[in-house]
Amino acid sequence: MLKILGGFVLGLIFIAFVGYIMAPGLMFHERVSPYGLEETVARIQQNIESTGNGWSLSGLRNPAKAVQSDGSNTLPVLMIEACSTKYSAPILKDDSVRYLSILMPCKISVYKKNDGKTYIGNMNAGLMGRMFGPMVGEVISHVAADQAKFLEFDPNKPAPQMKVGTPGGGGAAGGAGAGGGGC
Amino acid sequence: MSIRTKIMAWALAAGTALTALTALATPAATPAAVAAAPAAPAAEAKKASTSTADHSEFKELQKDFKEGPEVTKACLTCHTEAAKQVQHTKHWTWEFVNPQTDQKLGKKNIINNFCTSISSNQAFCTACHVGYGWKDEKFDFSKQESVDCVVCHDTTGKYRKLPGLAGHPAYQDTEFPPHSGKIVKAVDLKDVAQHVGKTSRATCGACHFYGGGGDAVKHGDLDSTLANPSKYLDVHMAKDGLNFTCGTCHATSSHKVPGSRYAPTAMDKESAHLRGKSDNSNPATCQSCHGNKPHPAKMAKLNEHTEKIACQTCHIPEFARGIATKMSWDWSTAGKMKDGKPFTSKDSAGRNSYDSKKGDFSWEKDVIPEYVWFNGKVDYTLRETKLDPSKVVKINTMNGSPDDGKSLIWPMKVFRGKQPYDKVSSTLLIPHTYGPDDDTSFWSNFDWEKSLTAGQKSVDGSYSGQFGFVSTEMSWPITHMVAPKGDALTCAQCHSENGRLKDVKGIYMPGRGDNNRMLDMAGWALALLTLLGVIAHGAGRIYMSNRKG
Repeated sequence: MLKILGGFVLGLIFIAFVGYIMAPGLMFHERVSPYGLEETVARIQQNIESTGNGWSLSGLRNPAKAVQSDGSNTLPVLMIEACSTKYSAPILKDDSVRYLSILMPCKISVYKKNDGKTYIGNMNAGLMGRMFGPMVGEVISHVAADQAKFLEFDPNKPAPQMKVGTPGGGGAAGGAGAGGGGC
Repeated sequence: MSIRTKIMAWALAAGTALTALTALATPAATPAAVAAAPAAPAAEAKKASTSTADHSEFKELQKDFKEGPEVTKACLTCHTEAAKQVQHTKHWTWEFVNPQTDQKLGKKNIINNFCTSISSNQAFCTACHVGYGWKDEKFDFSKQESVDCVVCHDTTGKYRKLPGLAGHPAYQDTEFPPHSGKIVKAVDLKDVAQHVGKTSRATCGACHFYGGGGDAVKHGDLDSTLANPSKYLDVHMAKDGLNFTCGTCHATSSHKVPGSRYAPTAMDKESAHLRGKSDNSNPATCQSCHGNKPHPAKMAKLNEHTEKIACQTCHIPEFARGIATKMSWDWSTAGKMKDGKPFTSKDSAGRNSYDSKKGDFSWEKDVIPEYVWFNGKVDYTLRETKLDPSKVVKINTMNGSPDDGKSLIWPMKVFRGKQPYDKVSSTLLIPHTYGPDDDTSFWSNFDWEKSLTAGQKSVDGSYSGQFGFVSTEMSWPITHMVAPKGDALTCAQCHSENGRLKDVKGIYMPGRGDNNRMLDMAGWALALLTLLGVIAHGAGRIYMSNRKG
């Protein structure tokens, strides 16, 4: 009996350890972009606007600017914010899951790393959604499907212009507002 | 009196009393606080000049000057040796014979992979010459009044030399760029002449920030953001910090400005410069102020790094941190038309990515440098140098090796492009680009054949009539835009697989993953033996002390 219990506890510890190691990779995705920083942002913005389903841009933030204002440097990071009321409204209307508004608007981060390459980072919305019940799971599954489309690049399309303004406030300078874009 | 009015009256009386008591209780605080407060920006702006001369008082400068050379003549009445000194500098001759290689360099002689060459294009390029009137090969380099004093010594910020005017400023209101609708006001030479002073970031930057045909095009570590930089961009030049001008490091003597991209000081073994001590070494190196062991003793390992690594490698982690710098220029695509007219287009960030006059460009901000061994010797591909068009041609080759005792690992901006070459003689060609009044300039008629023929003719060079475009690259040592010390490279940024120095060969680097396995094993074995030794020694001492006890 003691052996079985011991084995069970060890198994739990092992699973917890594996979960701890793998969690960041499961919760977040990171991939190398075939384009430079600004072009990656511009192409994602273009994809967001052409996906439909009520998606619109909420803003573009530049956290590196704030670091510079503090007299220091960091490699460039640009955060694209997008929202769709089609998906945000059901969650915002339900008191039991309204706290998930902290995940809004949907963010995709584009950044440079020390190898000089541009990376795209985003949350694994599909996995996250399943943790919060059937309604949220259903909504977020659609968000995840659209999010995948945001990151499909067509090299035959010319590079679009990056949109630096933030509808509803804030902006590329790292401002506070993100009121527009449907959320 | 109503209750409300009474309350208000009491509150007013109490407030007045409190204010009076506070004032009485702290009579000395106000002046002390004022004295301790940081100087207001306005006070800084009105900082009294330390000059012993007010140039506006000089009769020689109270004239209505018509042209620049008249101003120079006035300057020379007092500064009798100035023009002669300038005429011995690279800023005037645009020539430099490299003593290490005997190559004849300077803007007059080299072909780069930006605007390529000044030959046949002087009227345009000499907007950045410290002289007036250099429009062709006949320019008289001996005339003292042709030296432009005010381009470096203007303090008004209103003196601007325009491309196309052969080094002259605009003497009348001029539309620039042509057909842009923007008007550059005629220069007031009297005002400029009466307000001369020391060189500044603005005067040096008027050319050096705009090299290669625009802001941030050429250098990568020099652009207009350095005119008034914040601390994150450059700790030395920060307007709210040390506030260095260019001349603080490039300490000038007899108009000779130290610091050179043709023959850089790659390794400075001299100690820091001391006042009163005669020192002929380059005053513009990091070591000339910081010495060769700049880190505190507790960071002795970093001081060991200075034997192999240039200061700039760690302390300029990225360049072009203010605005993007041009990274490539493909002349082979120049000449395309839209509806029969030349056009320009922009990239995702709104920067010029194509110009019919110049071809395709690419730009990048926050660029991670490329790293090479560099000993200060630079070999150039000159007009007469034979090239192999099947390979990338290095416009300049940075020499260096881990074994020569003269090299350090340096950060570089590597600028890549495609430019014309002669298919028969396998040499670089000079395009004649600027010439609004002739039919051979590329920017007028977009005809490479005519442009190259005229360009080569200007230097009495041969041209077979067959041209192609060859891939080229040009390296620029990075030395400005020194970041705050907290932003210096960390150990892991180099000591890791795919770290910054992954392509630098000939050096053992722990953690890089491409090392000699035997050496790594020996190192680990030594570390293990040391650990065992420490444990055995400690255990022995504990055992002995117990026995004695």
